[in-house]
Amino acid sequence: MSNNEHEVLPPTPGARVATFLKRKDVSQTFWLWIFFTAVFVVLGLWAYPKWMPPVLSKQMQANEDIMIWFTVISAPIAGVVLSIATKSFLNMHRGDTPPEEGVAIRTNGPVVIVWTATSVLFCIVAIVWGLVALNTESIAAATDAPKSLIVDVTGAQWAWSFYYPAQNIHTHTMNIPVDQPVTFNIISDDVNHSFWPVQLGVKVDANRLVTTVAHADPSATGPLDIKCAELCGLYHAYMETSGAVQTPADFASWVSSIQATGGVEQ
Amino acid sequence: MTTLSHAPASSRPIPNPEKSLITKLHMGTGLVVGIIFCWGTYFAMKAGRDMTDTHNVNKVLLMSMFAWSVGFLIGIGAFIGPFRWLIGKDLTAEEQLFMAGDGQGIKRYFRYCTDHKVVGIQYLVGVMAMLGVGGTMAMMIRTNLATPGSHFVTPNVYNSLVGLHGITMIVAMIIVATGPFGNYIMPIMIGAADMAFPRLNALSWWVLFTAIPVLCSAWFLGGIPTGWTAYAPLSDQAGPGMNAFVATIIIFAVSTALAGANITTTVVTMRAKGMKWNRVPIFVIGATISVALAIPAFPTFMVAMIQTAMDRTIATGFYDANVGGSGWLYANLFWIMGHPEVYVILIPGVAALMEIAPVFVRKPLFSYNAAIAGFAGIAGLSILVWAHHMYMAGWMPSLNGPFMVTTEFISVPTGLLFLVLVGTMWRGKPWMKLPMLSVYAFIWDFLIGGITGIYLSDVPADNYLHGSMYVTAHFHYTLMGAALTGAIGGLAYWFPKMTGRMLHERGGYISFWFVQIGFNVLFLGMFIAGSEGQPRRVADYAHLFAHANLISTIGAYSVGIGMLTLLWAIVHSWRSGKIAPMNPWGAKTLEWTVPYPVPLVNFDTPPVVTSDPYGYGRSAK
Repeated sequence: MSNNEHEVLPPTPGARVATFLKRKDVSQTFWLWIFFTAVFVVLGLWAYPKWMPPVLSKQMQANEDIMIWFTVISAPIAGVVLSIATKSFLNMHRGDTPPEEGVAIRTNGPVVIVWTATSVLFCIVAIVWGLVALNTESIAAATDAPKSLIVDVTGAQWAWSFYYPAQNIHTHTMNIPVDQPVTFNIISDDVNHSFWPVQLGVKVDANRLVTTVAHADPSATGPLDIKCAELCGLYHAYMETSGAVQTPADFASWVSSIQATGGVEQ
Repeated sequence: MTTLSHAPASSRPIPNPEKSLITKLHMGTGLVVGIIFCWGTYFAMKAGRDMTDTHNVNKVLLMSMFAWSVGFLIGIGAFIGPFRWLIGKDLTAEEQLFMAGDGQGIKRYFRYCTDHKVVGIQYLVGVMAMLGVGGTMAMMIRTNLATPGSHFVTPNVYNSLVGLHGITMIVAMIIVATGPFGNYIMPIMIGAADMAFPRLNALSWWVLFTAIPVLCSAWFLGGIPTGWTAYAPLSDQAGPGMNAFVATIIIFAVSTALAGANITTTVVTMRAKGMKWNRVPIFVIGATISVALAIPAFPTFMVAMIQTAMDRTIATGFYDANVGGSGWLYANLFWIMGHPEVYVILIPGVAALMEIAPVFVRKPLFSYNAAIAGFAGIAGLSILVWAHHMYMAGWMPSLNGPFMVTTEFISVPTGLLFLVLVGTMWRGKPWMKLPMLSVYAFIWDFLIGGITGIYLSDVPADNYLHGSMYVTAHFHYTLMGAALTGAIGGLAYWFPKMTGRMLHERGGYISFWFVQIGFNVLFLGMFIAGSEGQPRRVADYAHLFAHANLISTIGAYSVGIGMLTLLWAIVHSWRSGKIAPMNPWGAKTLEWTVPYPVPLVNFDTPPVVTSDPYGYGRSAK
């Protein structure tokens, strides 16, 4: 088709919309949009709960919720991009000569405005969600402080060690009681480390001569994997230990067993 | 500005090789003088020093590396022009023509050549070499991680692989589009005879070249055990190999500053008559915004490295908490460079694909202004987001909220880039050639990279994801899946203009599918491992992560096969591929109006531009 041929558009905006919706390529794109949106929704609802470890704290629940719901919320937007791209791909032209000229759409003001507004809206939802979660966590950390179990965490190449001041015990594993807030005071003896009790969903760097603080609200019992999430030298991969969120009775028993051996875990 | 005339080659004076020193200098003389400077400095500084003191070792090594760089540049003739200025003279017209590589054939690629097309090819070959080395290291990393408990390499070698892979790929990716295409294609696209500062252009390449042996020397000096982030105080603790990293970054920052100043000046001052800003090809806009962003970013990294060097050589303690310093100072300086750098890498690749899409869909670029707004918005916001890399550092937790806001907002201009591409595709019938396939691959890859970036920018989610394999997968989707895909698309598109031959089509397709399928398998596995809780940069891992890692390694081998196929296609096509017509894609930008080989000054008659280059399509009324 040459540049001189024109596509005739309906005269009124309403008629143009009606014509637009009746077009075969539009309906095909619409069904592709449904498909891709559904794929992303299923991915969010199914994959992250399956992949992520058991939720043992309110913080971990907040993390997992964000992963799931941000995927779901972004699904329609991702669907738009992928449906148009897929429809275009399926409409491909093969051969050694260029295809016929397409419709010369230089821009479309309403489309640009709607797209930008949708992006801003999605962005605001993500920001508000994040700020609310951040604020909730900050308030919880402040109000929980008086009743928190204190654990002093020290990172050193390449091991974690723990000191429970109230219980006066030194350990190399980390057990904590369920339903009692915990405050971690974290420091490093050498280079930067990053304290990561995985199932609690909290993480803070351990810095030399500076104490950083993390807070967790354990909500279920279960084993903990404690790792280092900051490259810290030769045996970074092996800088890990274990622990558990326990019932108060089990925690008290564990503390007692260590106190019985001089306050140092064997 | 260039002083080369527009006279045809046949009527220009032939440089006399007997009379000028400049004709006797080349890469070989550079290597000799560089090595002499390096070893001379090494032995001179070593004499009388206590080499059991690590500070002295660091001093000697660093100065030897810088001496190599300066010596090489002297030996290749980089400073002949400035030296002549010092004595009140300049190069003669004959010498300038010689320096432009006129009539020297393949030898010009091994000289201090000011022709932007030669510099573009030098960057292209250099980038391919770096990607090859970095990719080989990636394969070694993935081989080690194929199964838990693997001892394919030792933890020390593994950490060095991680660091060297990281910095090699970052350097390669920063120049992957602006180096070859920004130098070879961009001046022709805007109708210029050369770059604004041809000698600086050559200098930017050869300065970068001197960084390559320096970085390689890290292998022989104990490696770089810090990852490419080189966080202090781990970098203070690291062995002699760390000096190679420090010197590489300082040298590279000089190179990027030269290139950035040159490209921006060229675009601002040397556009063809009639090429108003709204007629400038979008690749030129993207490349210019990218290098403009790099100009303030890399000096920050350079400052960070100079302070690392001072800590390591004269015990200043900028980053040493024991004497009042702070590792957070380094982290801030690093990420003030580090996040803009992501977009320095990304924007030219996307811009190349925006150049490609209208040509192959035979439609105008949808909303040129939105594309510029997207690039400008990303560039502007990118300098305000650096501390999202430090949410978990413990530095200023009260700033986490504000940095989360600025970071999330980057998704708005980023969304415009998608709109421009899918808007261009809408109702189109794309010509499915290799460059266009890259546009589709980019859309998928960057969509995944973008969405996962939103999780990571959110502080509560980052609590879990930071420092995990999830982050590694995310940034590979943006840097490799998006930016490298864009650069490969650009290579397939501009290969005929740069080499005079068509890229081997079947080889290109085979490579494309191996790379893209393998890439998605590789990083899907990494997303799973990260979600499961595997930290990044670990030489070994728990059995829990075995399946995800095996999947990743299988994907990596597919990428490796694909990249080797692409290499074969490039070499084969360059040597004996099908001769390319002047404008094989029917594109409307100026580079397709000049023949191959492109004349020394590009255009016999300076072009006049009367419209933008996206005038495709039939009109709707």
